[in-house]
Amino acid sequence: MIRVRDLHFAYDGREVLREIDLDMESEVVALVGQNGSGKTTLAKHLNGLLKPTKGSVEVDGLDTREHTVAELSRKVGYVFQNPEHMFFEETVFREVAFGPRNLGLDEDEVEKRVKWALRSVNLEGYEDRTPYSLSGGEKQRLAIACILAMKPRYLVLDEPTTGLDAKNGESVIRTIERLHSEGHGILLITHDMELVLRLAERVVLLHDGRKVFDGPVEEFFSLDLHDYGLDKPEVLLLGEVTGVGFVRSVSELVKALAGDGE
Amino acid sequence: MYPFYPQRDSLLSSLDPRVKIIGTALGIASIMLYNDPKVLLPLFLLFVLVGKYLGGISLREQLALMKPLLPVVIITIVVWPVIYKPRVMGLLFGITFAVRLLTFALLTFLLLMTTSQRELILGFVKLGIPYEFGLTISIALRYIPTLYMLSRNIMDAQKSRGWEIEKGSFITRARKMTAVLIPLLVASLKTAHELSIALESRGFGASKKRTFLYDIRMRRRDYIAMGIIVILFALSLYARYGLGIGHVELRY
Repeated sequence: MIRVRDLHFAYDGREVLREIDLDMESEVVALVGQNGSGKTTLAKHLNGLLKPTKGSVEVDGLDTREHTVAELSRKVGYVFQNPEHMFFEETVFREVAFGPRNLGLDEDEVEKRVKWALRSVNLEGYEDRTPYSLSGGEKQRLAIACILAMKPRYLVLDEPTTGLDAKNGESVIRTIERLHSEGHGILLITHDMELVLRLAERVVLLHDGRKVFDGPVEEFFSLDLHDYGLDKPEVLLLGEVTGVGFVRSVSELVKALAGDGE
Repeated sequence: MYPFYPQRDSLLSSLDPRVKIIGTALGIASIMLYNDPKVLLPLFLLFVLVGKYLGGISLREQLALMKPLLPVVIITIVVWPVIYKPRVMGLLFGITFAVRLLTFALLTFLLLMTTSQRELILGFVKLGIPYEFGLTISIALRYIPTLYMLSRNIMDAQKSRGWEIEKGSFITRARKMTAVLIPLLVASLKTAHELSIALESRGFGASKKRTFLYDIRMRRRDYIAMGIIVILFALSLYARYGLGIGHVELRY
């Protein structure tokens, strides 16, 4: 369990995060808020890249102030927004193996994990390709595989679908769904409300460095989101107008309406 | 944006950039004339005081700027006596080169810290240097903080994969740096490519002769400052070649 208690973080004498409490288990939590609201700063506390100025962050009982990022990387995997910021090896295999090797695992285990991680993101058979030669969606999935191979229980995904076309975005979404069903806790940083609606069970909303909402996704979308610079997905409005109520996608809405007609 | 130049009220900031560019060049030339620490050290201190009183740059700021050079300075002072005999002379030259290096850096910083980017380019162009050259310099300066932030971000990404730069011998650590250098190189090349497209799409190089929105003019104080700089440089030439001060013979 990830346990954040009264987290404050100041940068250059300016408080960027204030009084944040957060508990997280094996669920999909969307972390949303305007640019500069502190989403990435909060997420970087979970694997120790940033340490709290006040308060504490605990991951499965480990206090992040007492452990290095490398130690915490076994627990919390952080997939950065731009996958190219991590690729430096000649082949996909070596790229994915980098993390497990850093953990000091033996080569048999490393190979096993690379195979498993590449299968999890549907990149089997890519072992000998060069990371930079992959398409945008493949790069994003490879970045996830690089982190997965370290078998973290929790995953932080920073804007995983931004800049991808529909098909590539879909394959990333399916990967996230599968990881969740396998028991990973996932923190999704995003501006994409359709993605939140589709994937999240719970939403944490940050505003000016404070947590202003933390609850189920249905409840989140009943807030007046304009106050926070966010927009409601149109399918939700359609659901309201047609009397169906809360739906997560157009196909769900269509199904509900077709069911009514019968 | 521009890493060195905070707006400040000082005599040096108010001078024409051409005067400061020539002054910096002659200052560097003057330290090349001498190889005796007895002359170089006072010259160095003189430039520090110029920075403090005429440039309005506090001693703390100047120290902070020169701090990154400390390793090079120490290596220079240590290595010269080892490879050059007699050792006393080696030490002498070690100190000479270290002080020259520091003075060189100090003068360059003084120029950058008292001149805005726009004035600096304008100064170079009015002195006859092609505009492309000035633009290249300013782009390079502009990207220092950007690349710094980028390398921090890449390091964070690799740390999240269990990468630890603190562990291992010097060679292991140097090899580990490839995990940062390669993504940094790729991102820099991409940025450079995008920048060149952006420049061309805004008509860069469309006309041979550029005009400027803001112009610079030499005022009376600029001519006076220029005169003082030239006289000081002439005096240092005379001291070195006329009076033979400040030069120690190399003895083999």
